Amino acid sequence: MKASKQNAVNTKAPVPQNKQSTGVYLKRYWQLYALLALPMLYLLVFKYIPMVYIQIAFKKYSIIQSVWEMPWAANNGFEYFIKAFNNKDFINALRNTLVLNLMDLIIGFPIPIIFALILNELVFKKFKRVVQTIAYMPHFLSWIIIYGLALQLFAPSTGFVNMILTGLGFETVPFLNDSSHWRWTYIFLGVWQSFGWNSIVYLAAIAGINSELYEAASVDGAGRFKKMWHITLPGIKSTIVVLLVMNLGNILGSGFDRPFALQNNLVMDVAEVLSTFIYKYGIKSLQFSMTTAVGLFQSLVCVIFLLLANWISRRLGERGIW
Amino acid sequence: MKKKLLSVLLAGAMVFSLTACGDGDSQSSSDSASSDKQTDTTESSSGDASGDTASSDTASGDTASDPTNGELVDGKFTETRKITVEVYNRENDGGSDPTNNKYTQYIKDKMMELHNVEVEFVSVPRWTEVEQINNLLAAGDAPDICLTYDFATIQTYANMGGVLNLSSYVDDYKDLLPNMWEWLGETNIYCDKDPENGNLWAIEGKLAVTNRINTFVRKDWLDTLGLSEPTTRQEFEDMLIAFRDNADKLLGADADKLIPFSVSYDVGWRAALLIESFIDPDISDYEFYVNGFDDRKLTQNGTKEAVRLLNKWYNDGLMWDDFALYGSGDTTEDDMMKAGYVGAFMHNWDYPYRNGEDSIQSNLERLVGPDAAYVAVDCFEDSKGTHNKFVNGTTGDRKIFFPSTNDEPLACMLYLDFISTPETIEYLQIGDEGITHNKLEDGAIEIVAATGDDIQNSGFNIDYTITCNGLKLVDPEVTAKSTAHSYSGIDTALIEKANTIANTDARPSKPVNVGEITSAEGQGEALAKKRDVLLDTAVSAPVADFDSVWDSAMADYMSSGGQAIADERAEKWKATFGDATMLP
Repeated sequence: MKASKQNAVNTKAPVPQNKQSTGVYLKRYWQLYALLALPMLYLLVFKYIPMVYIQIAFKKYSIIQSVWEMPWAANNGFEYFIKAFNNKDFINALRNTLVLNLMDLIIGFPIPIIFALILNELVFKKFKRVVQTIAYMPHFLSWIIIYGLALQLFAPSTGFVNMILTGLGFETVPFLNDSSHWRWTYIFLGVWQSFGWNSIVYLAAIAGINSELYEAASVDGAGRFKKMWHITLPGIKSTIVVLLVMNLGNILGSGFDRPFALQNNLVMDVAEVLSTFIYKYGIKSLQFSMTTAVGLFQSLVCVIFLLLANWISRRLGERGIW
Repeated sequence: MKKKLLSVLLAGAMVFSLTACGDGDSQSSSDSASSDKQTDTTESSSGDASGDTASSDTASGDTASDPTNGELVDGKFTETRKITVEVYNRENDGGSDPTNNKYTQYIKDKMMELHNVEVEFVSVPRWTEVEQINNLLAAGDAPDICLTYDFATIQTYANMGGVLNLSSYVDDYKDLLPNMWEWLGETNIYCDKDPENGNLWAIEGKLAVTNRINTFVRKDWLDTLGLSEPTTRQEFEDMLIAFRDNADKLLGADADKLIPFSVSYDVGWRAALLIESFIDPDISDYEFYVNGFDDRKLTQNGTKEAVRLLNKWYNDGLMWDDFALYGSGDTTEDDMMKAGYVGAFMHNWDYPYRNGEDSIQSNLERLVGPDAAYVAVDCFEDSKGTHNKFVNGTTGDRKIFFPSTNDEPLACMLYLDFISTPETIEYLQIGDEGITHNKLEDGAIEIVAATGDDIQNSGFNIDYTITCNGLKLVDPEVTAKSTAHSYSGIDTALIEKANTIANTDARPSKPVNVGEITSAEGQGEALAKKRDVLLDTAVSAPVADFDSVWDSAMADYMSSGGQAIADERAEKWKATFGDATMLP
């Protein structure tokens, strides 16, 4: 709120004063705005206009009426929020989403940073490039394919890893069919799929650090780790913070394909997340109003987290994302 | 500048979403009284509309005794009408386009010739049909003739005003629909008619063959081990143990791949005969109905003990370890059967013999040897020693409904009449002589595997004969003789045996219609998923944990809607049948 007020002041002030300069400004830069028009149109059509249908969270959904004709839901329109919070499966999905996303954040967030740091220390440029390419290849695989691979590797009786384990005289490990093991498999596959890709941003940030700093540090007798700790990490700190803020903003969000592809009936107690809950109750069971309410709740919590994380990062003297 | 723009955008998004919420609040609180009125008016106006059509029908009926208002001349529309019809797409290897092939052309030509109606097929993926139809309905693009297996889904659409009420059409146009009435009869046409308000949202397709499930075992394995076919539950278990313990002898180098008994994630279906054998054979119609919301009989008394036995088998290494990891439509399990790793399983009564060259049986003979065979056995006795098999009556197959976007109900009813005509059904099921079938000396029809455009994407083209499931030729005698010959490349003795066993002690369920069960609305999919999770976790739990796993999951199932549905069913039964525990 504070931010928007500030903006209001900022934008209001200059306009009446320099009408002419605005005209000049627009005349000079209109091409840039024209370039922006298409993406803005995209956002408007695909992201903003559909928001009209957020109303169905407060209305009794009908498959044939327009959203304006649908009658309001009971309890001042909050019937479906009440219904959702009384639904054990929703509470369970909420918990699972939080747990999996937190695990993802704690384990998955530092790994690309570490990977970028290590990669940056490699001397052979060619080797570095090959490693980097291989590391970000999994990013282009669909989750359905990854689940297929996971089955081939981790299934209890036919999985390659388990066959090796039993061959060596160990017990089979229920990577996919036991709840606590499944969580780690889920995190591991997520990290494997994305760490290479996520490290690109950090590598770019590292490349932007002034090389004179390293030279000066070498002259002062700093070793590799000292340089990493005192130059590289502070150099990419603001990038890290921005990505952390964005990740926190997504703490209740989750993609659909990853949990949906990886879950199975034996681990539903930990694998059901909000996105799959919405699919099951909304798309498959036609409870569109309740699942829209869930989706709206999810978005609101995400916005709150985003604002909070941004506020904290600014308080800590970082730029934040705006 | 960039930062500013971004902040303006984000602030805008915030304001937008907040106002959206705010609107919702204020308006709904002030309008909560009038909102009721609003629904009233919309309902009554739609009621008026339907009343109008009905009254105009009757009016015209009075004057010219023609319910169609003179639209039809000799059964043909004076102007060409266009309708769209749903067809499942099974995406078979080597299959043809389900919307455009020899059989669709036959239907199109005939409908044009008989009724001057142009037919267009809309394909819907078989394994995600409900989701697809949801989307099509919501978008207003649903085909004029839709079908699905679950009436609760149709009821949900109907409550949203998305489905046409068929009651006036089936009655008013009765004289125009002789074949449909002849084939389906009142039993199937009125099956889903609401006893209170007379609404008819769907017509039930008819099962020509009521066979449901069989148990299959590897005959050649029994022979190798010197065992006879199991006739009791205990013998079945002993057989599984023998398979497990003799894996080296049966599969040699592949011994570790042997699976004595295989189920899929859908345990309730794939162990149905075992589960049903634990149900009291003297169960009352009342109890069977009240506990019968779940079509896998999860909440019937006895199911827990059946699953306990499965749990024991699982922990004894008699079942497939990975059964729960593969989803609906996955072919891994079928592939293992084809490769010859699976000792026994339960499935549709003719499952291993379906699909001609690609059938499990044909593959088995090719890959393992000419002696390899799955044979049906009858080995799950109930407490009275009979082999009760709960089968559907002639109802319980696909339900046909017209979405409210259908503006050609008469043309669509004529389509249903045409598709129920004996000659149409026969042609679609057996195709042309010499190509998809041969006539044998005794008059029986033998099905021949076809390729290219003659291929049938579904057995007997069941996807086109939407009012008929199962072989039904014009002459019932020929039908009886032909059943065993209708699986190309399969030994007729195998089919005959499967057919005999499927009919032994078969117990057709009687349709119960006590009106809408409102608590079931929107629950079908969620509870079915819960059931699968419950059964899968219970089967694979450690033996010592079985009771706690089952009891807690069952408590969750009941409190998530299962109990409410059972209670409402009991209440509605009492309202309709009083204290009677058996159906009249």
